[in-house]
Amino acid sequence: MKTPLLGEFGSPPARHMLGPIQHIDVPMKRYAETEEVDFCIVGIGSAGGVLLQRLARAGFQVVGFEAGPFWDTERDWVSDESGSHNLYWEDLRITGGSDPLALGANNSGKGVGGGSVHWAAFTPRLHPSDFRIHSEDGVGVDWPMTYEELKPYYEQLELEMPVSGPAYFPWGDPHGYAYGPHPLGGVGDVLVKGCTRLGIRVVAGGPVAILAGSHGDRQHCIYRGFCLQACKVGAKASTLITHVPDALRNGAEIRDNCMVSRVNMNKEGRTCGVSYFDRHGVEHVQKAKVVIVSGYAIETPRLLLNSACPGFENGLANSSDTVGRYLMAQAGNVILGRFDQLVRMYKAPPAHALTEEFYETDPKRGFARGFAIQTVGPLPIAFAKQMMVAKGAWGWGMRRVMMDYNHWAALGLLGEILPWPDNRVQLAAEKDRFGIPVAKVTFNLHDDDKVLANYGKNKVMEVMRAAGAEEVVQESRYAHLVGAARMGADPRTSVVDKYGRTHDIPNLFVCDGSVMPTQGSANPGLTIQALAARTADYLIAYSREIFTSKKRPMEPPPIRRHLAPPETWGKGVPRIANL
Amino acid sequence: MAAVETTQRKVVLIDPATGKPIPPRAHPGYYPGYRTLAQQEYWDEATRKVVLNRIRRVPDIRFFSADEARLMYAICNRILPQDDRDEEHRVPIVPFIDKRLFDGRIDGYRFQSMPPDRQAYNLGLKGIDEIANHLYTSRFLDIGEAEQEIVLKTLHDAKPPAGQEIWDGMSVHRFWMLLVQDCVEVYYAHPWAWDEIGYGGPAYPRGYMRLEGGQPEPWEVEEKRYEWQVSGEFVSDNYEFIAGEAEHFGSPGQGGTH
Ligand SMILES: Cc1cc2nc3c(=O)[nH]c(=O)nc-3n(C[C@H](O)[C@H](O)[C@H](O)COP(=O)(O)OP(=O)(O)OC[C@H]3O[C@@H](n4cnc5c(N)ncnc54)[C@H](O)[C@@H]3O)c2cc1C
Ligand code: SF4
Repeated sequence: MKTPLLGEFGSPPARHMLGPIQHIDVPMKRYAETEEVDFCIVGIGSAGGVLLQRLARAGFQVVGFEAGPFWDTERDWVSDESGSHNLYWEDLRITGGSDPLALGANNSGKGVGGGSVHWAAFTPRLHPSDFRIHSEDGVGVDWPMTYEELKPYYEQLELEMPVSGPAYFPWGDPHGYAYGPHPLGGVGDVLVKGCTRLGIRVVAGGPVAILAGSHGDRQHCIYRGFCLQACKVGAKASTLITHVPDALRNGAEIRDNCMVSRVNMNKEGRTCGVSYFDRHGVEHVQKAKVVIVSGYAIETPRLLLNSACPGFENGLANSSDTVGRYLMAQAGNVILGRFDQLVRMYKAPPAHALTEEFYETDPKRGFARGFAIQTVGPLPIAFAKQMMVAKGAWGWGMRRVMMDYNHWAALGLLGEILPWPDNRVQLAAEKDRFGIPVAKVTFNLHDDDKVLANYGKNKVMEVMRAAGAEEVVQESRYAHLVGAARMGADPRTSVVDKYGRTHDIPNLFVCDGSVMPTQGSANPGLTIQALAARTADYLIAYSREIFTSKKRPMEPPPIRRHLAPPETWGKGVPRIANL
Repeated sequence: MAAVETTQRKVVLIDPATGKPIPPRAHPGYYPGYRTLAQQEYWDEATRKVVLNRIRRVPDIRFFSADEARLMYAICNRILPQDDRDEEHRVPIVPFIDKRLFDGRIDGYRFQSMPPDRQAYNLGLKGIDEIANHLYTSRFLDIGEAEQEIVLKTLHDAKPPAGQEIWDGMSVHRFWMLLVQDCVEVYYAHPWAWDEIGYGGPAYPRGYMRLEGGQPEPWEVEEKRYEWQVSGEFVSDNYEFIAGEAEHFGSPGQGGTH
């Protein structure tokens, strides 16, 4: 066999690769369990990675627990669809309700970086109207904050990831992107053509958290189309490469392959740390002044419910009975069109063009809120599964349509589904290998959701036909789970306040997609990371009060831009030396 | 169209221009001469290992019993028929499904209407035999391939005419989706299947240069289509809407895209 382009693998490296150039030296700092650290973060994913970095850089002692591995991207990740299952949360969960959600690869990640490792990296912001849909349309609920409060964090995180996109993005709060857009792939071409023919505004080349130019020690995109299988190139942002390296350099510890089994409480009604199982299945305790749960919209409520104890019989922070409730997913129908000419949709990042023309409420449509249309680029196995549903393909029909793979293009609907109390995460009777009850997810579509999803699906099909597709089919799907520990001003109807602090327990925080009260029609990743940076600023500004008292300052903390990771500030030229 | 009988087996594929059977070939598909494996020196080491192991290390059967394994081979031959491939170039499917079940690897969730995957297969295989028995008073293995497709189609339609006690405890159409998904997951992970559909395969560290207009990279090839017809009694070549269980949208997909 020929020598690999990047050299043979030797014995386990002291140098841990985070991309072809980027690396970090291991082992990292290790705190003693008897030591009471300032912060424990449960889950180093989209939100947890940002929190870890900010808190470490501000000089706090912080330990991040991650149920999955700390990736070495050169060894652990492959440019292969079927070989990438280890990226997802593959442990058991039970799913039911009238419209059960698919989980696993369809939803959450496991391993440092969490879902940001396998996301498509679309990074639109929420619209200002998203923060007050109850006031404006009488549906869902208002956020306890405004768009303007989050805006500086959107702008900041767009620079930290960084986000490539059009110079002018016309929807919501119109804005531009500092980094240039990507070239069009086959599917983007279809979306742009279809929209243009129907007079629908469309943007191309972003907004995506994918490098269009080299940046620090990260390379730019090579248009290989494997974003959902994790980007070995290091072009697509994940907190593993954008925030974790800076966190570790500033003294943070990550305990990987460590599954937190409960958040522990003391007699004063405060949390005193966490219990966890290490990679060998041995249980340990870590003491901490503050615990932040960042485990994703399923594992976060699961952990809070599993941590029930005297005084908190219904689970932690659950006096309102809202832990696990108001779980949301977006209507993520995939619309597939067959074209006479070839498309070859496996090339280019799946995420690269979108329209938010239908995002806002339009009274003429007869339902509240709206949807977005985005490019997707299923690889062969995902496409075959879609054909099983969309065309009912199997047997010879499957072989036949798959031979036409290169003729098909796929567009994704992203429709807003409203928060409902009966859509929820509970505990199942089944247990995982540590003996911890697993999550049971119940999902029911309501009338408003059905009407919106149907309308949206038909609109995308219309765009596909306008682009010239001769055959158009679709499969329904749901994407992006958020909610289930929502924020609100009223402790009787929400779990956390607008900074992620639980109403019931002064030193227990939730910080991840679970805190979102509504979801809009934007992919949630950017919002999740922006909220995390804001929660970090709150923790830093008021650490003294939080460590020792119940005082709940509500004055917004100042944004601390200087705490951003320095190497994500756009140096431009990659550091090729000292590999 | 009538099936053409040869000495060994029914002819399944016909050239519509000549009406003659299409002989099995090493590399079916519209991309003559295209081999993803020929590009392997441009792949990274970790990926090359994973892909080559798929060809070189076909696992032994450890989960299915010998009887179940034989039945699975027959079923998978209809879920993803490979009659157009010569014996040396058929993609092994059952050993990889067996390995997944033996290792206890799941996709991260279980539908409430389903038993655990292993049990689902044990039950589902029994159910398929019962349907065969009901329709043809014979075991699935002993009926013709076209009849086997008719048996399987009843699962696709979620209308199994027999085995009610099994389907009462397990959603028919979810079992169907489990089976089809497991098969495509194995088949379309194989480099020969990539050659067949003209998919680029692993693409790191080289990446792609020609993004628009469906143009091939210099190492890819232009499409060259040929017509093929499936003998009329094989029902799987018709597309019929899949049955569903979810209330509002039937059978939502389960793959991740965005
Ligand atoms: C196929 C796909 C494509 C997507 N594309 C996009 C996109 O284009 N744009 C976008 O914005 N979003 C996208 N998403 C969604 C996005 O990935 C998630 O919304 C986001 O990552 C959620 O962030 P989080 O912080 O809530 O959780 P995660 O990022 O999932 O992090 C949670 C982490 O906590 C760990 N954890 C959980 N419980 C425990 C425990 N008890 N102990 C220790 N560790 C624990 C998990 O292992 C995980 O690493 C996509 C998702 C999928 C599946
Ligand atoms: S398309 Fe670009 S961003 Fe996506 S995986 Fe490939 S190199 Fe990374």
